[in-house]
Amino acid sequence: MDAQVRSVLRRVIQRIPNKNIENLLKKWNCLSADQLCALDYTRPKWMIVEQVTSFCEENRLNLKHITNLEMIYHIENPDKGVWHACQLTEAQDDAVGVDLTQFKEQFKAHLHGVVRHISIKIKKHEDEAIWIRIAWGDNFSKPNHLKPTYVVHHLHTSYVFISNLMAKHKIFLSISVATKHGSIKDGHLSTRSLTAMRELLLRRYQQVTYPGSLSGSLQAKSNVYPCIGKEHSEHEEMRYQMSCEAFGHGPTPKLETAVYRLETRYRGNGNHTLSDREEFFRGVVRFSSSSLLDSLRHCVASGMAEGPVTPLLSAITQRGRNYFVITDKGPGVSSQASAQRA
Amino acid sequence: MALLTPYSKVPELNTATVLLVENEEELQSKLANALVQYEKDFNVNVRLARKLPLPVENKETRPRIDLIVFLVNLLSERSLQSVESSLAHLHSDCFLGKVCFLVTDARCGSHTQERLVSVRKLAAAHQCPVLCAEHRTVDGVNAAAVRLLNILKVSAGMSPIATTALYLSSLTRCSVTSDLEED
Repeated sequence: MDAQVRSVLRRVIQRIPNKNIENLLKKWNCLSADQLCALDYTRPKWMIVEQVTSFCEENRLNLKHITNLEMIYHIENPDKGVWHACQLTEAQDDAVGVDLTQFKEQFKAHLHGVVRHISIKIKKHEDEAIWIRIAWGDNFSKPNHLKPTYVVHHLHTSYVFISNLMAKHKIFLSISVATKHGSIKDGHLSTRSLTAMRELLLRRYQQVTYPGSLSGSLQAKSNVYPCIGKEHSEHEEMRYQMSCEAFGHGPTPKLETAVYRLETRYRGNGNHTLSDREEFFRGVVRFSSSSLLDSLRHCVASGMAEGPVTPLLSAITQRGRNYFVITDKGPGVSSQASAQRA
Repeated sequence: MALLTPYSKVPELNTATVLLVENEEELQSKLANALVQYEKDFNVNVRLARKLPLPVENKETRPRIDLIVFLVNLLSERSLQSVESSLAHLHSDCFLGKVCFLVTDARCGSHTQERLVSVRKLAAAHQCPVLCAEHRTVDGVNAAAVRLLNILKVSAGMSPIATTALYLSSLTRCSVTSDLEED
């Protein structure tokens, strides 16, 4: 094992908390049973790293095995790092018929043709997701395995999720992924959690299918004593219904932020110096929360934000984005922009 | 404008009804549970509302209301504004012992002191008592419930000694002293 392989291995093991290392090594299946038993996970991390490195040297493992370990770790823990969503558009007629082997061959052939030194690893996970790990080099240097890019694509959907991609490599990747599609465009959605992203875009969370389906669910939840009556219970139900229509009911995908970039003209009636200008009033409105969709749903259901739900907020779930640019196109824009005071 | 009147309906046997009005709708449900649990001698009905006027649809089914409690969270300006606008929807007969103010968070910060003074001035102008409650612990909520039940008993006419709501309110109404008026 040369120095590069050792540094990749060390980096992988150092990132994993001690309690998860055992399971990961078992899944990896490259160390023998005796070696696994000999590892003591209560020791400090650097000792575990040394032990694992020496076992790998004994077993004569090479870079392929180590990158496999790193990939297994990322597949088991998809919610690390920052993920961005992209969408493939202009599907050609035979796009639906692409199967896994075809995709793999075309992807690898394309990337190898474009970049001289590159290392690609493709794995298919049980839930129809293809995980691709790419270590980029260039014409003169070998691939850098310490900063790999991860790409997740669900075949037959038009979504691609990318983590850790540098701007200069973006063009190469986009051409290669869009094998049977005309182009690829930015999905304007980025989170720390890949599961949340997938749930949102692939619509895997509980949505309200038809109006009126929730009436009575709220009553059933809150009625402890029959002698306690609510005067505004109809309003409450209506608000709850509206909030669930916009944001789903049950657990929602865990988004952390929503960013609105305003390029509109200021239209307040107080401050004349601002409203008379010709140029745009540029501002950024940023919502952050540990679970943004839950917070927004609670805002609407409890009456803090007035209903009906403004399309600026419901667009997060309806269109699956969390970055919006609002321009001065119509008369409704300014009144909606001022509703962000919640 | 339909005002809430205290005597337009017939009272029920051995039952008292209290209306809790709170803008945030947080404390009222906890207080309602405590009120229902603590009183064993007579039935307590609780109605929860966000603001007045109450919806017209419920007018027939709503029982006679014996006590109206306005819950004000002193940390929020909106809470006080909502109570001020709700007061306009009460018939003046209600203020003869059937309205009470309950404030929370009276000790947190400086803005709360100013708001407490406004609430006390408002209560003094309407001849109503002001209770201060601590709502973050179970004991605090239970203590507030017990105090409210004492006032409710009198307002509903359940007190064994012939105490009327009007008599009680003249004893417990909030008074604004002269040094407060100078603020």
